[in-house]
Amino acid sequence: MQSMLIKNARLETGFVYENGRVVQTETDIFDVLIQDGIILEVGKNLSDSGHSVLQADEKLLMPSFREMHIHVDKTYFSGPWKACKPITNGIITRIEEEQVLLPAQLPFAQNRAENMIQWLISQGHTHIRSHCNVDPQIGTKHIEITKEAFKKFENQVTYDIVAFPQHGLLRSNVEPLIREAMRMGATLVGGVDPSIIDRDIDRSLNLTMDIAVESGTGIDIHIHDPNSLGAFEFYKLAALTKQAKKEGTVTISHAIALGDLQGTDLDELTAALAEAKIDVTTTVPINRPTIPIPYLHKNGVQVSVGHDSLTDHWSPFGTGNTVEKLSILAERFKFIDEYSLNRCWRYASGDITPLNDEGKQVWPQKGDAANMVLLDAVCSAQAVARRRPITHVVSNGAVVFEKEDVFEGVLK
Amino acid sequence: MSKAKWLSNVKLETGERWLDNGTVETETSLFHLKIDNGKIVEIIEASNGIPAGHESIDMQQKLAVPTFKEMHNHLDKTYMSLDWKACTPVSSLKERLSFEAAELSVLSDTAQQRATTMIETLLRQGSTHIRTHVNIDPYIGLKNLEGVIAALDTFKGKVTADIIAFPQHGLLRESVPSLMREAMRSGATMVGGLDPAGIDNAIEKSLHEVMDIATEFDADVDIHLHDGGFVGYYTTDKWIDIVQQANYQGRTALSHSFCLGDIPVSQQELVAARLAEENVAIMSTIPINLGRVIPPIDLLDDHGVNVHFGCDGFYDSWSPYGTGDVLEKATRFCELTRKIDEKSLRNSLKWVTGGLVALNEDGQKVWPNVQDEASFVFFDAASSAEVVARKPDNRLVMVKGVLV
Repeated sequence: MQSMLIKNARLETGFVYENGRVVQTETDIFDVLIQDGIILEVGKNLSDSGHSVLQADEKLLMPSFREMHIHVDKTYFSGPWKACKPITNGIITRIEEEQVLLPAQLPFAQNRAENMIQWLISQGHTHIRSHCNVDPQIGTKHIEITKEAFKKFENQVTYDIVAFPQHGLLRSNVEPLIREAMRMGATLVGGVDPSIIDRDIDRSLNLTMDIAVESGTGIDIHIHDPNSLGAFEFYKLAALTKQAKKEGTVTISHAIALGDLQGTDLDELTAALAEAKIDVTTTVPINRPTIPIPYLHKNGVQVSVGHDSLTDHWSPFGTGNTVEKLSILAERFKFIDEYSLNRCWRYASGDITPLNDEGKQVWPQKGDAANMVLLDAVCSAQAVARRRPITHVVSNGAVVFEKEDVFEGVLK
Repeated sequence: MSKAKWLSNVKLETGERWLDNGTVETETSLFHLKIDNGKIVEIIEASNGIPAGHESIDMQQKLAVPTFKEMHNHLDKTYMSLDWKACTPVSSLKERLSFEAAELSVLSDTAQQRATTMIETLLRQGSTHIRTHVNIDPYIGLKNLEGVIAALDTFKGKVTADIIAFPQHGLLRESVPSLMREAMRSGATMVGGLDPAGIDNAIEKSLHEVMDIATEFDADVDIHLHDGGFVGYYTTDKWIDIVQQANYQGRTALSHSFCLGDIPVSQQELVAARLAEENVAIMSTIPINLGRVIPPIDLLDDHGVNVHFGCDGFYDSWSPYGTGDVLEKATRFCELTRKIDEKSLRNSLKWVTGGLVALNEDGQKVWPNVQDEASFVFFDAASSAEVVARKPDNRLVMVKGVLV
């Protein structure tokens, strides 16, 4: 396979302290040699002979993003503008709407999925986890088209497909369809609100875990159920996870309840999730209490961000821009200083950051996967706070996106 | 020879239609607009040819919406155009103020340069009116005011502005009341104030001093009110008394007013009715930091209170974020209050246009009309609802018939 030299990239190398406080991020210019999708060498003035060369022009090199919660299979993205229908009967409004809408969208669903994947790649994502409807009307057709869509971006983006019983695993009676979806190549078993939708918490969670065990995969389950109800379900899921020895393979999406709890209720639930190695994904919602992201991270629960929607029948908002998402995260938690802004990147990169918490350079190293982005930024704190633009995306060692005309200095 | 010109193929919103399933769609049509002397002088349907004899610019079916008003900013404080700098964490407002005081004297030399970059950023994204507060304090005196005025002068004809003399470090101290008066004589156009309880520690005296200066110079007022809970509520209520006594209806505003979100709904309704009665506007920057309560904007709106959005000062010693896109504040407000359907998204544009919208709440076309100023933001969008939900990056800004 080919090799590529990234010439003159800016890397974060440490922190500058003043009175014991981080006031600046130290950076330096390096060359990064990549071969077969892996970083071979990081150094100064590496020879460029025999390699293709990407001139980084002192732009900032950072780990690429992982979009950890999106629905590429049902979107208005790239289609004509359409606002949402007002909600009249809670989530059931949307389920009834989907019974008509999704079959109608089927002829162009794959095309829209491809457009969305393309857009997400341009926004610096080299991994995408997409939930994918499995329901009585659509059957497993969305699994099929999502696979086909991702196939077109092989080597540009890795992915997970979650077999998602949006209308309820029990409620819509799709157990056989979910099993079929897993056989077709879905990589995770999905789920949604075992109480509100399925109205049988134990049976719903048990069956979800059964399917995961049978198919040898993990789980990613939407749980919007709030406070004590959500907590009740999280404890159940943690126990099931340990029992099935599925630690490290289970994700709770949204996990709204974590934003409702405080004090020992939060401490104990967090400890239970950490022990079962259950991670959570969040869209950093602003219309409800955002889950305590830094607290969870500090206490051993990995948190990842996702966009969920870039405009669909659920929400007209969403940009797919993860630099913007991180800046909203920072604003939400009032991260205003260099250090706390610097520590944001990990929520979008699968916990990979150039510097560790102590400011020691830990990325990129020889042997690391060559998934990265170049930004017109002086450091990641600035990139996040000022929403600096991504200029290049490197996936599996090759340039998969290059921005033509970067608006220089717009938000500087 | 007349310098009139045609803007051809402009998409305008003309009405709405209700679908069987209870949803609303916005109807649009293409028009040619004749512009003369910065005003619209004729509007014809695009099915007609473009009349000959004048220059014409093909707007390629872009949607026109009114230009934006950035109603709460601090042009003098931003770090824009300087090297990257994050903020210094502090443990109290007092500490933040003393940090700012130390920094101000260093920064004031570049006030014009920094303000210019901020104005460019705001204008590029569609704001053609900027209400800026400018520090008037014992540390820098009028230096920031001079810089901001100089910066705004270079945008004459493109950007209008309210320049507020803002006693950031307290009004009732040392030389500030006389500095404020000097500022009013030196180009400030409005009188500001700040937390009569929290900063000045004398609610009535502080409010009266603000109104005294305002009446002395026949100037409007915009007061920062962060004081929360009932002390903020009382301050608001007392201010309304003072407005009534001074006959200052329609000439004053309170910025932030978090306190209105802290009080019970029954009380919100009472104060909303009084705010509407005395025509006191509320300015919000739609903060999203966790735990921050914002004023009940929909309730205020229902009672007829004028509400406007602003970006607030940004990328300064207080906050490292901010894009200068006031439209994003409307998007954020809709997301925050779950406005997701065509009608509620569309109606929300008014928060950033000074109330100007293409369709009224009943879906009837009310803008633009002949004799209106030919100032627009153009988007590739189907409706203003799409503009609000998607806040598209690609925009063209036109002021009085000229693309800027």
